[in-house]
Amino acid sequence: MTRADYLALLFAALLLPYLYVTQWTGDEAGSAISIMNGSETTQVSLAHDHTLEIDGPLGTSVIKIEDGRVRFMASPCLGKQCIHSGWLEHAGEFAACLPNRISVAVLGKTPRFDSINF
Amino acid sequence: MKSRWLTLLAIAALTLTACSDPPPQVHKAKLFTLGTLVDVSVLHPDEAVAQQAVDIVEAELAAINTQWHAWRESPLTKINHQLARGESVTIDATSYRFLQQAQQLAANSDQLFNPAIGSLVALWGFHSDDRPEGAPPAIADINRLLQQTPSMADITLTETTLSSSNSAVQLDFGAFGKGYAIDRAIEKLKQSGIENAIVNAGGDLRAIGSKNNQPWRIGIRHPAAAGVIASVETHGDESVFTSGNYERFFDFDGQRYHHIIDPRSGYPATGTASVTVIHNNAATADAAATALFIAGVKQWPQIAQQMGIDEVMLIDEHLTIYMTPKMAQRIQLEIDDAEIKIIGENR
Repeated sequence: MTRADYLALLFAALLLPYLYVTQWTGDEAGSAISIMNGSETTQVSLAHDHTLEIDGPLGTSVIKIEDGRVRFMASPCLGKQCIHSGWLEHAGEFAACLPNRISVAVLGKTPRFDSINF
Repeated sequence: MKSRWLTLLAIAALTLTACSDPPPQVHKAKLFTLGTLVDVSVLHPDEAVAQQAVDIVEAELAAINTQWHAWRESPLTKINHQLARGESVTIDATSYRFLQQAQQLAANSDQLFNPAIGSLVALWGFHSDDRPEGAPPAIADINRLLQQTPSMADITLTETTLSSSNSAVQLDFGAFGKGYAIDRAIEKLKQSGIENAIVNAGGDLRAIGSKNNQPWRIGIRHPAAAGVIASVETHGDESVFTSGNYERFFDFDGQRYHHIIDPRSGYPATGTASVTVIHNNAATADAAATALFIAGVKQWPQIAQQMGIDEVMLIDEHLTIYMTPKMAQRIQLEIDDAEIKIIGENR
C-alpha cells in the first residue's frame, strides 16, 4: 500500500464516528429523562437507580428511576393519571401530573419518533 | 497516482463541508396550557427566531384557553350563563368563525360531536383539572339532561350574535378547542417564517414541513399497553388526532368510566378503545376523532364519510384494528399479532 492508501484508510476511519452519530437511528432505549417542574427543566440520567421528590404547587411528586426506567410512584393529584402511566423506558415516552405541573419525558440520542400521538 | 490523490482531496472536501454546515437542530419547548402539556418542536437555523415564534404561540394558546375555558370563569362561562337565561349573546368575528366551524362539524357528525352537552360533562365530574375518585352520577340526573336534548342545532348564529332555542345548551369545546388552538398555533408559526414544526397538545398534533428533508415520524400510542401500536410519517401539513378511553377516566366499584360521553346515552361511549384520524385541519380532526369514537365499530364509516375524513384507524375494545384503505396504505403497525380489517373503498 502506498501512503495515499493509508491516508484514505485514515479518512475512512475518521468518517465512521461522524456517520454513526448522524445516520444511526436504531437506538430506542432512553438514556436520560427530562423533568419539567412548572417552567424549569432538569435532565437526570437513567443510569443509576434512585428516587426523586419534586415539589409542585399541590405538593410533592415522587419519581422513581430503576433499571433504566422511570415512573411516578406518588403524586398529590386526585386522578392519579400520572401513576397509571406506569414505567417509561423508550425515548419519546412521557407522563405528566398536570395538576402538580410536573412532567417526565424519556430522552434518547436518536428517538424513533419525533412526536407521540395519544 | 494523481487520480487517487484527487479522490482523497474530494473526500476531505466533502467531509469538511459536512462538518462546517450542520443541519439545524430541533428547538423544543414545553408549555403548560390548554389544561395539558403542549410540546412545540420548531426547526429553524436561527435559535432566536425559533424561540420568538414559540413565545408568540404560547401567548396565542393562553388567549384561546382564557376565551374558551369551560369551567373556570371565562368569556365562555359568561356565554353559558346568558344562554341558560335565554338571552342573545353578542360575539366578535373570531368567535363567530369558531362557533360556525363547531356547528358545521356537529351537523356533519349527526351531533355525535356535540359541544352543547356541557352540563352532562360537568355532571360526570370532568369539568375539573383533576376529577376526584367517586361514584358516577345518578341515572335520574343523566336522564333529566338527556330529555332536554341540547345540541348545536339549537344554536342560531349571525356574524354578531349567538342565541339558543334550548336553555339546556351549555357549550363545552373540549373535543374541538385543542384542535382549533393547534391550528391557530401553526398559523402563528407560519407567519413567523417557520416552515418546519410540530405542535403537540396533550398527544394531538399538527406537523408542517419536515425534519431536514426527512418526514416527521409520529408514534401512535397503544390503547391498552405501554409503547406505540403504530407509526406514521407526515407529509406537508397534516394533523394526527387520537381519542382514547385511557386519556381521562376514573374507577368506581371495579368499573372504569372515561371522559368521552355519548350524547345519545349520557354515559361514556362503549366498544371503542381509540380512534386515530389524519386530516389537514386540526379542529376537524379533533371533532372527528371524538365523533368516530362515539360512533363505534358499526357507524364510524358513515360518520367519517359525512365529515370528509378518509384516513381513520379505529381500535375496538377487543383490540381489533379497523382502517380505511387510505390509512392502511400509509400506517406502519408496530405490533405483530393484530387482527386488521380494512373498511370501505378508496375515495
